[in-house]
Amino acid sequence: MSGISHYLNRFKASLQIDHTIRDGVAQELCTHLEDKTQELEEKGLSREEASKIAIQSLGSPELIAEQIYETHAQGSWKEALLSASPHLLVALLFTSYYWQNIVYPSIILALTVGIAVYGWHRGKPIWLFPWLGYYLLPVVVSGILLLSLPEGWGWVAALIYIPAALFVFVHIVRQTARRDWLYASLMLAPMLVTFTWFSSLGRGNELLTSDWAARLQTNALWIVVSFVALAAATIAFIRLKQRRHKIISLLIPPLVVLFAVVTASGGNICSWSWLLLLFSLSAFAIPLWMQARAYQ
Amino acid sequence: MNYGRELLKGNTDSLLLCLISRQPTYGYQIVKELQKRSNGYFQFKEGTLYPALHRLERDNLITGKWQILPNGQQRRYYYITENGQQVLAKKLATWQDFSTAVKAVIQAETT
Repeated sequence: MSGISHYLNRFKASLQIDHTIRDGVAQELCTHLEDKTQELEEKGLSREEASKIAIQSLGSPELIAEQIYETHAQGSWKEALLSASPHLLVALLFTSYYWQNIVYPSIILALTVGIAVYGWHRGKPIWLFPWLGYYLLPVVVSGILLLSLPEGWGWVAALIYIPAALFVFVHIVRQTARRDWLYASLMLAPMLVTFTWFSSLGRGNELLTSDWAARLQTNALWIVVSFVALAAATIAFIRLKQRRHKIISLLIPPLVVLFAVVTASGGNICSWSWLLLLFSLSAFAIPLWMQARAYQ
Repeated sequence: MNYGRELLKGNTDSLLLCLISRQPTYGYQIVKELQKRSNGYFQFKEGTLYPALHRLERDNLITGKWQILPNGQQRRYYYITENGQQVLAKKLATWQDFSTAVKAVIQAETT
């Protein structure tokens, strides 16, 4: 591999943005390096010496990638508010008894599906990912609920449904992570918050106790706090320029939510719920972990 | 930090807008023009130019267009926008005032 190709590969590996922008800047850098190399060759230098000097003149590819990222990664206030909207809508459901009336959650669900599909086919703008998280939520929840069907039927339905749901889930997460690992975490954050609260509703070996609705209503204030914290973190994520600051902003909601759930439930969580909690925490943390590995 | 480097950093936008306003140009040509016109005074890592160009483009002060050369090579030429011209005019006026004021103060000190 030539020095220029190696340099451009390092640049591309360091820049986690829309691949069309990344490839465009890489092409600009490539033309720059070729121009300079050719000019130096005309002055009598060997190809190898010329490309080495050209690369040195351009500077660290990681630094250029970081600066380009800061230019493109910061969303506008409009995008930030649009990204936070689904979290605020869910928070609104719990400010009163709206969540118990099927009409309000249905309106939000229809809105979420419409906006997620629109954004997915419109170049996946940055504001799409939180909406996409809520879009995936019913897909996963339906799979869990299928298990509670009458004996035998639940497993039959689950055997058909779960592979299809997993396919959709993995496909969307992979597409999102390909664009940027952090967007995958941003997308999965609503799932983390929802499952964490869901996990607080079980007792003993029961995933859902008979008084789950009353318990959910008792914790309504903490639930609102959780989704508002998620909305605030999302706004910070969109508006911040530096990648490491974005990572920190994503770490805030799980801490707030875990604290809220443990406080509200007094630490009394069933074994099924711990599994669910572990699954959602892993799904959220894996993209962040992949990003940390990429830094190393 | 180096004072000259700080001054260059503070005036990068004006310098780039000024060069691009004269004729549509591309990254490497901008580097060469800056070095030529400043008699080699402006020394910087050439790669830092591209984030600055992309920032100006994001702010709608310039626009980049790909052009294919006869040899098949692709270059991205940058053009100044109407908004960019207005911003440049304001920046140049501010710079002239600032420069005049600094000169007046320094000359008064040295005479």
